[in-house]
Amino acid sequence: MVGLSACASAPPPPSVATPPSAPVSEVHRLAVVPSGESKLTVPGVSASDDVGNTVGRVFSDIAKWYPQAYLYQALAVLVQRGVDWIFQDKRSSAADQYARGITPSAVVADAFTRTLVASGRFDQVRTLQGEPVGDDRREADAVVRVLVPTWGIVRVRGGKPEMMAAYADVRAQVSVRPTSVITWEHDEDVTHGERLPAQAFTGDLQLARQALKDVLERAGQRLANELLYARGDQ
Amino acid sequence: MRAAAVAVVLAAIAALTGCSSALDVGYPEAAVNPGLLASVAPRRVAVGPVTDRRSDQTRIGARPENGKPIETARPVADIVRDALVVELTRNGHVVVPEGGDVRVAADVDDFWLDTAGSDGSTQYVGRVALAVAIRDEQGGSTVLVRRYAGIRRRYADPDAKEAWREVMDTALARTVHDLATDPELVRALGTVSR
Repeated sequence: MVGLSACASAPPPPSVATPPSAPVSEVHRLAVVPSGESKLTVPGVSASDDVGNTVGRVFSDIAKWYPQAYLYQALAVLVQRGVDWIFQDKRSSAADQYARGITPSAVVADAFTRTLVASGRFDQVRTLQGEPVGDDRREADAVVRVLVPTWGIVRVRGGKPEMMAAYADVRAQVSVRPTSVITWEHDEDVTHGERLPAQAFTGDLQLARQALKDVLERAGQRLANELLYARGDQ
Repeated sequence: MRAAAVAVVLAAIAALTGCSSALDVGYPEAAVNPGLLASVAPRRVAVGPVTDRRSDQTRIGARPENGKPIETARPVADIVRDALVVELTRNGHVVVPEGGDVRVAADVDDFWLDTAGSDGSTQYVGRVALAVAIRDEQGGSTVLVRRYAGIRRRYADPDAKEAWREVMDTALARTVHDLATDPELVRALGTVSR
């Protein structure tokens, strides 16, 4: 009976807000630093692995019927490496087209800073190019490192046609001075509100790049809003 | 006969205990953090109407395994209204049934759970979008109209109901957090006379 009735009262939903922490509430001067590497993923752009592995498969098939083929195994390895290089190069070129001129963590950091400045809740918020040194370091109560581990375009709805949207998985870490203790950390999956068929992105590079920039901007705003929310009424 | 009796008893237990396939989506009060909204002197706020403007108000999505509707335990408009009430109350404002200093009305433009298949797991994308109007009840004018949207995306098993609810809870929370940290909205509340 107890087991059966357990389904009536669902467990409380997971906490979705970061609890306020006193040190986060007390920081007034922030140095925002774009940090880390970003990996771009676009469906289709990295889909050529199957083609790239064909040399190995073909060689294995031949070796079944012609055992002396093992003598040419070293040659097959070299051919495979060449094919891998060509496809790797193609993948990189395709990804470069989407990402050219965009540094994800810098875009997110700029939007993050602008949102915090507009809130009027901090005495000073500045985006730096790298880790603060000298006066930049002395003038900051805290360093906010902004990371974009992955970004790109993702399927957001199945069916026909499948719908895609730009996305960015982002993270912000607030490290207070002088202890360098991380007092607030927030990860967020940010997804563009506009969803389009895959062909819209693959057929219009400008549209895809705009969507990617938009979602990075949005990610900066979201991270800033969550920091403001966690900080409370200061 | 015995099996039928057992089935009836189980159905009755399920009904009595409220065991249902509908999702209990909500905005937990415990997670609310008094913030920018609390920087405005307390106002008497009437919340509503909250109107569900979605074309299909009977569901919030379709089950990935069979296409059957995913429903919420309570009407979507009530879920959103409760979230607004909780946020305003925890920020020190007094929610009143009618009159008051200010009225917060909302249209629910989107409240939907999408799925996209993948190898072994399913990607869930929850979306909540609101249009919120702030009306000065004494002056009789609308002082602000803003739109807020929250999206949550995560991978989970195809039948992970806990994930469905978490996705929608989080999308709703992100929407409300954007509202609660919007300096324009805070300013608008501050301009309304008490």
